[in-house]
Amino acid sequence: MIAYLVKRLGLAVLVALTVSVIAYLLLYLSGDPALAIAGEGARQADIDLIRKTYGFDRPLIVQYGDWLLKLLRGDLGVSMYFKTDVAPLIFSKLSTTLLLALYALTVALVISVPLGVLAAIYKNSWIDRLCLAVAVVGQSMPNFFFALILIMLFSISWRLLPVSGSGTWQHFVMPAITLGYYAAPAFMRLIRAGMIEVLSADYIRTARAKGLPTHTVIFKHALRNAIVPVVALAAVQLGFLLGGSIVIETIFALDGLGYLAYQSITFKDYPVTQIIVLLLSVIYIFLTLASDIANAWLDPRIRVA
Amino acid sequence: MTSQYLTETRVSQPPTLAKRSGESTTVPENVLDIAGLTVDIATPRGTLHVVRDVSLHVKRGETLCIVGESGCGKSMTSLAIMGLLPKSAKRSSARFEFLGEELSQASKSHVNDLRGNKMAMIFQEPMTALNPAYTIGEQLTEHYRHHLKASESDARARAVSLLEKVGIASAAQRLGQYPHQLSGGLRQRVMIAMSLMCDPELLIADEPSTALDVTIQAQILRLLADLQKELGIAMVLITHDLGVVARIADRVAVMYAGQIVEQGSAAEIFSTPQHPYTRGLISCIPIPGRTIPGGKLGTIPGVVPSLLGDMTGCAFRDRCASALTACPGSIPVHQTSQGHQWRCVLEPTEVAAT
Amino acid sequence: MKNNKALYVGCGLLLIIFCMAIFAPWLSPHDPYFQDLTYRTVPPVWYEQGTWLHPLGTDQLGRDYLSRLFYGARISLLIGASVAVISGLIGCTMGMLAGYFGGRIDMIVSFFVTTRLSMPVILVALATVALVGSSMWVVIMVLGLLKWDRFAVVMRSATQQVRAMEYVAAAQSAGASTLRILLTEVLPNVLPHLIVIATLEAASAILLEAALSFLGLGVQPPLPSWGLMISEAKSYMFFSFWLIAIPGTALAVLIFAINLAGDGLHQWLTPQERG
Repeated sequence: MIAYLVKRLGLAVLVALTVSVIAYLLLYLSGDPALAIAGEGARQADIDLIRKTYGFDRPLIVQYGDWLLKLLRGDLGVSMYFKTDVAPLIFSKLSTTLLLALYALTVALVISVPLGVLAAIYKNSWIDRLCLAVAVVGQSMPNFFFALILIMLFSISWRLLPVSGSGTWQHFVMPAITLGYYAAPAFMRLIRAGMIEVLSADYIRTARAKGLPTHTVIFKHALRNAIVPVVALAAVQLGFLLGGSIVIETIFALDGLGYLAYQSITFKDYPVTQIIVLLLSVIYIFLTLASDIANAWLDPRIRVA
Repeated sequence: MTSQYLTETRVSQPPTLAKRSGESTTVPENVLDIAGLTVDIATPRGTLHVVRDVSLHVKRGETLCIVGESGCGKSMTSLAIMGLLPKSAKRSSARFEFLGEELSQASKSHVNDLRGNKMAMIFQEPMTALNPAYTIGEQLTEHYRHHLKASESDARARAVSLLEKVGIASAAQRLGQYPHQLSGGLRQRVMIAMSLMCDPELLIADEPSTALDVTIQAQILRLLADLQKELGIAMVLITHDLGVVARIADRVAVMYAGQIVEQGSAAEIFSTPQHPYTRGLISCIPIPGRTIPGGKLGTIPGVVPSLLGDMTGCAFRDRCASALTACPGSIPVHQTSQGHQWRCVLEPTEVAAT
Repeated sequence: MKNNKALYVGCGLLLIIFCMAIFAPWLSPHDPYFQDLTYRTVPPVWYEQGTWLHPLGTDQLGRDYLSRLFYGARISLLIGASVAVISGLIGCTMGMLAGYFGGRIDMIVSFFVTTRLSMPVILVALATVALVGSSMWVVIMVLGLLKWDRFAVVMRSATQQVRAMEYVAAAQSAGASTLRILLTEVLPNVLPHLIVIATLEAASAILLEAALSFLGLGVQPPLPSWGLMISEAKSYMFFSFWLIAIPGTALAVLIFAINLAGDGLHQWLTPQERG
């Protein structure tokens, strides 16, 4: 298990470094980063000032190395638009986004586990097809459209939930449902497939032969084995949820990392954008690493090798 | 070997209920008593008649071996007894008595209560029969705690004692181990212990030794025989191996194409088999003490018939060396006073099997 | 095959949308860009104030919604198809090379895939479009360059399987060049799975473009991208719900049709899951 850990960790670090290079080079997509930050129609003096401040006149390697070293020391720079240090700015928003992602993941699992188990038990019956239909519909609707509909229903018509902001838990309900519903189908299919495979296994027959009640057979014996790939997917989906929360956060003005990213792009505060890209990637890398480890631990064949 | 057929009763009627001649139905003696068991499976290509009018009984302390080639319905019969048939299967029976209680219309929850408790089953493949995610101890004790509402410590104590009884050393440590840490032979012993946890009256073993090494096979079979003698359990052992039957069976039921074609005590079946299929089976394999060294082993030409659609007459007639024109018609069930039964149009013969 | 309703319904719907797109100039009652300010935010014909002159109503600038719907289909289908083709080419090449040669090439490609998977696609796409300049073709290029990962993964494993087959060994011993083998032996066997992936990626690309346009960093006005239409109508949605409902439903139906067809294809190709 230790050897496995070390190998995975090494790979994770390598990937993170590569992403950091890409994140840094993003600025050069427009040709001249100083111009991109200053915006069209800026004065030449401003552009030159920006170039000097960020050191864009230095060789690329030096720029990148300096940036990376500063990052590792915890110096994330200063936001041009918000006029504060980037580090506290980002980390104050991060908790909001993480919370949203976890809520959304919960919604996704609450929807997908029962549907997936049902679909597997009643495989190829109308129940199965109904569950699949619910799943496909969930993936077909653009999430921002779904969000707008939810707003119409819950905020405008029924006045149950607030439209925007991030003060209370009620502010998280609609965003979580929107995000979670979109992630649910992938889980549902995985659980269904996993359960179908597991339900035909010999040890399920043994469990039934022992006269155990049906719910014990399904949840204790079958689901426990079918859930293993779901853990891996959960980590991956959490990463996607974090990255894909931009649109949702923006619609609901939920003050998280996604909204901050959107603002930084709109207001040309690209250095902040870079850091958010890198941060989200690192979180994703860490999550997949954690899920691989959890997977290995969940399988006693690997844990007690 | 003189035959006892002077007092036979030939019953010429279509094979429905098999009557037991002379015996009053002393219920407590028979742990399991089934008559007319039929299992049909609906498939896109039609109805598969996997078990057709099977009647058998097992007494306490007795081993009944169901023997036949693959696809003959022996596993399906055992699954039908346990109530573990797939959803697409339909089961019906004229009589289904377990411990004197009629079960053919019993509720699912009642059958669930009996399963794993008073009737237990072990399967062929020990490597995949245990859940890899839970310890041996957990899997040994869970149904004991469920059926008997026992405490964790009581269950563990019983598990340890049973593991020792099946010959597993350091039983207490084994409780905390996972299935992948045990060999195939050990796992099968664990399965046997698991089946005995709730002190069953009936144990069904479906090819328990087939998937194991030859050396371990003998051990497992001897273990089963010893346990049965000690605990007085009724045992149904399913196998395709006549050698196993010769070693362990008190009574034998020979199955072919979903039917029991011959049934009787082991001595009768081996010394005076009546059905051509049984004779063919016995001649196919060398049995220590019977087969003449240097002699030829027989074969049964042809293939098992399809189980789809209407099946009338004798299913074996296409492969039978003694087939007659009466074979496609209804087949009479013969029976002796000792309980030796078979389905055939031929007259009983005193010629012993070679 | 007869029971594969998913395939039939999905392909049927897709065909309808295709026709809408291709025959848009003939089907549309008006020019989608023409702003008739005397007919602003007219509701669809099934409302009281609706009129058959504009069966699906008009938007806040007086543009006919039915026409914009048809022309919007063009944009969505074009984006879906183009991104699928571009990312497909990139991903398949990488996957085939990784699966066929194995070893170091495989390690490198797998590393790229892992790296790409770690990056938040929509954020990177947003930033890229903002920096390079937002237009439909920029969106297509960016999405095409970002969405090749699933192609690569599937191609890689499919190629590995095919490579282990005997006829590849036979071709190799007959002296065929690697490229030839890849094109004539590997590709035809992998093609069905590729098509399934392509449908999924196309659907995903259409949704991504809709999201980008919704945020203002995708297709630019006055192009009738369905996502853009929703964005433009956001502030009017409380009183003129159809302004977002129509393009939203159109998007949902299109994606649903693609997913259905993809599911049907997948069922057709993996018969062991049936029954």
